[in-house]
Amino acid sequence: MKNQKVLAYCNLFGVLRNIEFLVNRDEECRKIVAGKNLSIQFKVKNGPNGNLSFKNGQAEMKEGSHPSHILLFFTSPEHFNKMIDGKANPIPLKGLTRIGFLTGPFTKLADRLSYYLKPTESLLSDPGYFAMNTEMTFYTAFSSLAQIGNHDPKGIQNAKHIPNGIIQASIGTEIGLYIDVKNGHLTAYKGFAEKSNARLVFKDLGAAQGILSRKTDTYVALATGDLLMKGFIPMVEYMNPILELVGGYLA
Amino acid sequence: MKEFYSNTKSLELFKKAVKYIPTGIPGHLGPVQSQFIPASDFPFYVDRVKDSYFWSIDGNKYIDYMCAYGPNILGYNNEIVDKAANEQLKKGNCMALPARVQVDLAELLCDTIEIADWAFFLKNGGDATSFAVLTAKAATGRSKIVRVQGGYHGVVPWTQAEGANGITKADLQDVIVIPWNDAEAFEKTVAENKDSIACFIATPYDHRIFADNALPVPGYWQKIREICTRNGIVLIVDDVRCGFRLHIEGSAKYFGFKPDLACYCKALANGYNISAVVGIDSLKSAAGSVFFTGSYWSSAVPMAAAIACINEMKRIDVANLLIEKGKKFASGMIDAGHAHGIDMKFSGVESMPFMRITNDPTTEMMQDFCAECVKRGVFLVSHHNHFMNASLTDADIKKTIEVADEAFAAVAKLHPDKVN
Repeated sequence: MKNQKVLAYCNLFGVLRNIEFLVNRDEECRKIVAGKNLSIQFKVKNGPNGNLSFKNGQAEMKEGSHPSHILLFFTSPEHFNKMIDGKANPIPLKGLTRIGFLTGPFTKLADRLSYYLKPTESLLSDPGYFAMNTEMTFYTAFSSLAQIGNHDPKGIQNAKHIPNGIIQASIGTEIGLYIDVKNGHLTAYKGFAEKSNARLVFKDLGAAQGILSRKTDTYVALATGDLLMKGFIPMVEYMNPILELVGGYLA
Repeated sequence: MKEFYSNTKSLELFKKAVKYIPTGIPGHLGPVQSQFIPASDFPFYVDRVKDSYFWSIDGNKYIDYMCAYGPNILGYNNEIVDKAANEQLKKGNCMALPARVQVDLAELLCDTIEIADWAFFLKNGGDATSFAVLTAKAATGRSKIVRVQGGYHGVVPWTQAEGANGITKADLQDVIVIPWNDAEAFEKTVAENKDSIACFIATPYDHRIFADNALPVPGYWQKIREICTRNGIVLIVDDVRCGFRLHIEGSAKYFGFKPDLACYCKALANGYNISAVVGIDSLKSAAGSVFFTGSYWSSAVPMAAAIACINEMKRIDVANLLIEKGKKFASGMIDAGHAHGIDMKFSGVESMPFMRITNDPTTEMMQDFCAECVKRGVFLVSHHNHFMNASLTDADIKKTIEVADEAFAAVAKLHPDKVN
């Protein structure tokens, strides 16, 4: 069952966090944020708190409260989730003079985010789009997994069984995200950890796209090597039920 | 370049299986649950078996150290057991009434297992543990079960962990989990749950997966026995996996204690499908009061097989035989590893050893080692204890060590930074 609070965490730290990636990889987004130096605090009552900042052409999403130029308040997780769906507006509590950033550049960024995360068969036939969509879906899924493990009741139950250590997820050897597990709390970081205790490796972009979009059966993927689990498998085994919940939240 | 086994037909059949069967191969034999890493190096389907070997559907022959996860104790297709089973099959198997062999097998078990005053027959290990728990509840009128963390007693809800798919909080409300080898924790649990604990259930030693297996510390079982007796708690030993591989009279005998109920399955009939619960006389009436049955539980063929299997196990002193084989296997593997700078640690009882490479805490070296062995015809897994069987020859062990030597060399190349 979709819990609005958990969904808000996924939307903020799983979906919206992709803006970090977009401004690096999408030319249009790069132009949108060029020369921008400001930060937006998202404050969701009874939900997540996060800060998205833009500086030197880069974007960074941080959990918690941080100094910001713009403060956007949401009365509830539902309110925030509706904003993500384009069906509600935030309540700006600070930075009204910079509101133009929200209605202009930020909206364009959000549109690009939506473009890349809502594929069609036609769009996926373009190799560039395919790569972007797959990579962003991968980041979204595993970043959201950490949020679900920390906030969803079933996710929490499984997360508390995951032994401490690092689970490295990757597509091949170039695209990575790792989850640091400490006493049942999960934190997702992009990239590759120096050392990991367990690994979940999608063979390539095609394998990742097939598995994450559920077009490929996971068991077949494991049998064919499109997906590889390695290392201390109990970590992955307790993580997998949480990964199964991701689709329910982000479908 | 050396050619290794390929598993083309296995993979093709698996792809077909996924269309018709959830996960393709459900349960512990599936490539995911079995930790086939990488799966491409492992066979998925068996064509035939004999003694210590199986042949995959790709025609590859393997020396099998998993023994069907335990049932193969005398050797696959053991002629003595199969003869008894076939003779019974000619007379009848699943019938409107039980056959004489049911009584004969019960009598034999009571003559064999130290604590057995009666025997009750079922199909799988999980049936046996659940029946034992029900019997304990019926006998005591209490509801709570104490079990040990990491202990495996089957798949029904009370045996599973919180958060597992299909398991609810209500399923586990009467289950208390305590650490292995911690009699003090049990004493404390009993004090906190006065007069509400029906039973304590545990395997004879801690043979969990993914971790070194741990024998009971001196006095552990005796202390557990004393606490159970003092508090009217039924002591159940789940001897499903260890049964007959430690001691023909039961693993409790091996560790010097007497449970109230003991559960058997795996090695009981050398692969024929039967399990049993045996118990002390004072629990016989409670056992009889529990309605617990199944369509095939009185089938006569597995009972005939079990009688032949137990008699043969007695004749060859199977537990000591397997322990000796296990010692040869372990020392050969350890020496082969050392030659390549790799430390192989063995734990548990030698007849069903757990092994792992200590150079690497992540298990990756062990996973690679198993895959390299399997590619060369020795079937090992990285997460579970292995099993010795009586048909395993010195030549099989010698061949295994030769394969291990090659596999260790390959693993040392893959992990140069981790070898000694």
